[in-house]
Amino acid sequence: MERSRAGRALHALLAVLAIVATILFAPACSEPPRGVVLWHPYRGGEEAALKKVVARFEAERGVKVTTLAVPYEAYLSKLEAAIPRGNGPDVFIGPHNRLGEYLLHKLVAPVGDALPDEDVPAYEPVTVDAVTHEGVRWAVPLASKCVALYWDTRLLSEPPRTLEELAAKKGALGAGVWPLAYESHSAYYHAALLHAYGGALFDGGFAMIGPAAERSLEKARELVTSGAAPDEASGDLLKTLFSTGKVAAVISGPWLAADLSDDLPYAVAPLPEIEGVGRMRPFLTVDGAFLSPDGAKREDARALARALGSSESARERAETGKQVVATRAYWARADGERPAADDRHAALLRAFRDASADAIPMPVSTAMNPVWVPAEQAIRKVLRGDATPKDALAEAKARYDDVMRPPPPSPSPAPLVIMIGLGLLAAAVAIVRRVRAPGFRRELEASKPAYKYVAHAAITIFVLVVLPLLAGAVTSFFAGTRDDPRFVGLANYVDILTARGKPLLSHGSFYLTLLVTVAWTVVNVTLHVAIGLALGVALARPMLRLRAVYRVLLILPWAVPSYVTALAWKGMFHRQFGAINALLATLGVEPISWFSKFSTAFTANVATNVWLGFPFMMVVVMGALTSIPKDVLEAAEVDGATRWQAFRLVTLPLLKPTLLPAVVLGSVWTFNMFNVVFLVSGGEPDGTTDILVSEAYRWAFARNSQFGYAAAYAVIIFGLLAIMSRVLGRVGGGEAKEAAS
Amino acid sequence: MSEAPHRHAGSSALRAAETPVPEPAERKLRCAARGIEKSFGATKILRGVDLEIPEGTFAVLVGPSGCGKSTLLRLVAGLEQADKGTITLAGRDVTNLPPRDRDVAMVFQSYALYPHLTVRENLAFGLKLRGTPAAEIESRIREASAMLGLEKLMDRLPKQLSGGQRQRVAMGRAIVRRPTIFLFDEPLSNLDAALRAEVRVEIRRLHDRLGATTLYVTHDQVEAMTLADSLWVLNGGLVEQKGPPLEIYERPRTKFVATFLGSPQMNLVAGKLSKEGGAFWAEGGGVRTRVDEERFGDALVEGREVTIGVRPHDLCLAKGDAPIVAELKVEIVEALGSEAFAHGWIRSSGPTFVARLDAADARSVRPGSAIPLAAAPSAIHLFDAKTDRALGD
Repeated sequence: MERSRAGRALHALLAVLAIVATILFAPACSEPPRGVVLWHPYRGGEEAALKKVVARFEAERGVKVTTLAVPYEAYLSKLEAAIPRGNGPDVFIGPHNRLGEYLLHKLVAPVGDALPDEDVPAYEPVTVDAVTHEGVRWAVPLASKCVALYWDTRLLSEPPRTLEELAAKKGALGAGVWPLAYESHSAYYHAALLHAYGGALFDGGFAMIGPAAERSLEKARELVTSGAAPDEASGDLLKTLFSTGKVAAVISGPWLAADLSDDLPYAVAPLPEIEGVGRMRPFLTVDGAFLSPDGAKREDARALARALGSSESARERAETGKQVVATRAYWARADGERPAADDRHAALLRAFRDASADAIPMPVSTAMNPVWVPAEQAIRKVLRGDATPKDALAEAKARYDDVMRPPPPSPSPAPLVIMIGLGLLAAAVAIVRRVRAPGFRRELEASKPAYKYVAHAAITIFVLVVLPLLAGAVTSFFAGTRDDPRFVGLANYVDILTARGKPLLSHGSFYLTLLVTVAWTVVNVTLHVAIGLALGVALARPMLRLRAVYRVLLILPWAVPSYVTALAWKGMFHRQFGAINALLATLGVEPISWFSKFSTAFTANVATNVWLGFPFMMVVVMGALTSIPKDVLEAAEVDGATRWQAFRLVTLPLLKPTLLPAVVLGSVWTFNMFNVVFLVSGGEPDGTTDILVSEAYRWAFARNSQFGYAAAYAVIIFGLLAIMSRVLGRVGGGEAKEAAS
Repeated sequence: MSEAPHRHAGSSALRAAETPVPEPAERKLRCAARGIEKSFGATKILRGVDLEIPEGTFAVLVGPSGCGKSTLLRLVAGLEQADKGTITLAGRDVTNLPPRDRDVAMVFQSYALYPHLTVRENLAFGLKLRGTPAAEIESRIREASAMLGLEKLMDRLPKQLSGGQRQRVAMGRAIVRRPTIFLFDEPLSNLDAALRAEVRVEIRRLHDRLGATTLYVTHDQVEAMTLADSLWVLNGGLVEQKGPPLEIYERPRTKFVATFLGSPQMNLVAGKLSKEGGAFWAEGGGVRTRVDEERFGDALVEGREVTIGVRPHDLCLAKGDAPIVAELKVEIVEALGSEAFAHGWIRSSGPTFVARLDAADARSVRPGSAIPLAAAPSAIHLFDAKTDRALGD
């Protein structure tokens, strides 16, 4: 009997394992598809053009091509997941500046005869440069993308020759109309200015330093302070301003044209010159057809890549897909043809192609990635006037170097092994003592059947909660990037807890961030409870009219996904166009630049999070209030209590047992409220409003993928929260248990 | 439930031994309500009620559920506002004052102890709110807890107490306040039967000891009969009858009061008055009895349609040549030891009928048999068939 039961259990376990194995390995085991697989991130016209090109290729060559559109956001991770397993594409289209990552993860092979030497003259030289890395050609260039100047033909009679000429139009354009708008906080857009002065963002290391970089920042600040360009302009804002004629010219890429109405009178020109300096030179990205290592071995795949770049397909891609194609023949022929006067798209393409002539290909090294954040912090700091360009750039360089610092040397694992060993020993001793305790065996025997009922839940929790937790903890003992992890023992923890050798409360240190996080949690939870309590009590009044309506309205903030709310609030806090400053303006308050000071940025975050968080407390309070017997409150009234006294001396103590767990929960949520901090202030100004969890995120995803360091942060956060819940639970728990009757 | 009159006699004897209570009429009014009307939405709860409670009186409001007795109590406490009418406490018009300014103390049905406070804190709560000096609070608590036997429970929380103990704490909380009037809202209904009888006596004892003025609401007629100095029977938002409890028991002014008080209920049959040989008889539904001419006087008119009422306790097995009032077809006999109740009917189409029998007589009575019943003419109640009011009132 016992044996057969055990046998059945074993069978069940094997079946589960088989299912899991099938799910995990099925894609790897499946038959490789015949024909060629092509991945691309295109949509709309670009996708239609690609389909036509592919169809022609299939017809000519008699090969089946399977195309798959993968969203751009997920592109890299999908490639990383699929290609090493052998079920990725043979050919994939992507921007050339991701080449560093492709190489790192071994996702590409040289194009070889897909772009033979004899084909090279057929392409724009700058595009071939872009796909060439260390003397090897890695892709067939298809199309280029760079920014250019959109100008409103109603406001300007001709494209401005110089930036100064455009800026001088301020005032002449009419009230509330800006001469120029661009995403001034973005390093990508600033690069055009930087390049004009002969500077660079990246040269193998952080290169935005020195006189050229300083002068470019001074220029950017001059544009903003002189009122020639708005501060804090986002992509959406640019679109709105330009569509409504509130700005004469904007710097943007071909993607803006897709969002503009066909009726809007505008034209595109290359970026203007800077007086006495030279032409603004934007970054260029080139979409190329890359070959995966498997694809490079297949003749059909190489032929497809070559065909994608050919001049026939270039025509299709230019005319249907509106791409600025890399093939010179197309432009040569187009130059020969008389462009139709109303063919605006042709003119647009031509303008972007002209702009690309001066553009500088984006560097391809993965070491480029950590450049952006410090560069943008420096730009914002200068634009706000918080620092001189020199200081801001020096700080940015220091940050870059900090992020790129070499991992600490691998120590002997002995201390860690000893610690883990001691931990296991302690656990073993505890278990043995437990087992030896009288009655344990009997209890175990008695509860045996119960294990069957909880097994599935225990396994699920182990797989979904415990394993990731352990994996995270293990990761924290490693440093270096994901692809080059090195065991460093407790060095990450030591680094974090000693603020990497800098003063303990210096900028970006763990302790400063912890202080901010604690302040953030205390302020938020206090306001959540206060507002939730006030509204809960107000809504509990039976005489209140329209109570149900208020209740629904007040719960709404909770029902909206938090990132939607966070983005809405971020918009409302915009300095020039936000609702809050507009409201303050009616009260005669000067517009506040919310994200330029810690206090205001913190306030903005708190306002958003309070909006998100009070309904939970309100609902908890409303629920708890119904459990307070009415006659106890009446007894207090008869005993002589005023309303306030009854609330303070009776209602509040009786709410406490319910409120406390809610406060613990709310504290944990707020402590880790990533969405609001990341989306509203984004750590602005200068990372000061970051909390621990957003700081951990930045170490993992914005600072050269230092997952080990981020994991150590996460483990520390976990520890802090565990202690906090324990303490809060103990403080209130005892009383709560007593008071519950 | 069945022992109401007996218990009453017992407890009034006890009362007399402790404090001689002067007649209510001679004393000052402690609480008065005049012309009270109260509606909740469209439902009229009180339709013009007057209430007078002289100092030191134990007044009991009794009536079926929904009669408005609790509402009236809450109006006196200030927990509800009257639509019409005035309330005065100790000569002060409190109609529009909140509860805290009325100087009343209330014991709730659920006791309504503060669950987060110890017994001591519960007792001190009201005094602290009124700014009573700490020493005074201490002495009052000591006194009250001694009176109620709470000394050993002072540091416990309400949930650590039994139902009876909580009840005593609730009373203690009222006692320490020394209010103008004590208000009790069905304070015994959450206790088991044995405890209820015990606490009932205790409440009355405390009332007498403190010389308190009390307004007590109950739907339990035993409590009403045993506790009250003056009883107010409410029905449908009106005072149906008021007075000393025995008087009401013996001379119910309406059919409602007659059936509401007394257990088992008074037997009622429809009948007619007739005159035979110079004496008035009431007859109907198999019942035929002489009536007390002195009591009903001019109300006795030959041929008048009446409801004949006789309490089970006033019936007995007809022996010797005692006139037979009715013949009961016995269905069930409830033997309680000292007495027994025979349930049955006089006529199969008529209402059920109950008679009290002596224990000895009951032994020989078997279900299915018919027994002759006798009753003194003075025990016969007559009500007008149309108005349901007692004849002669």
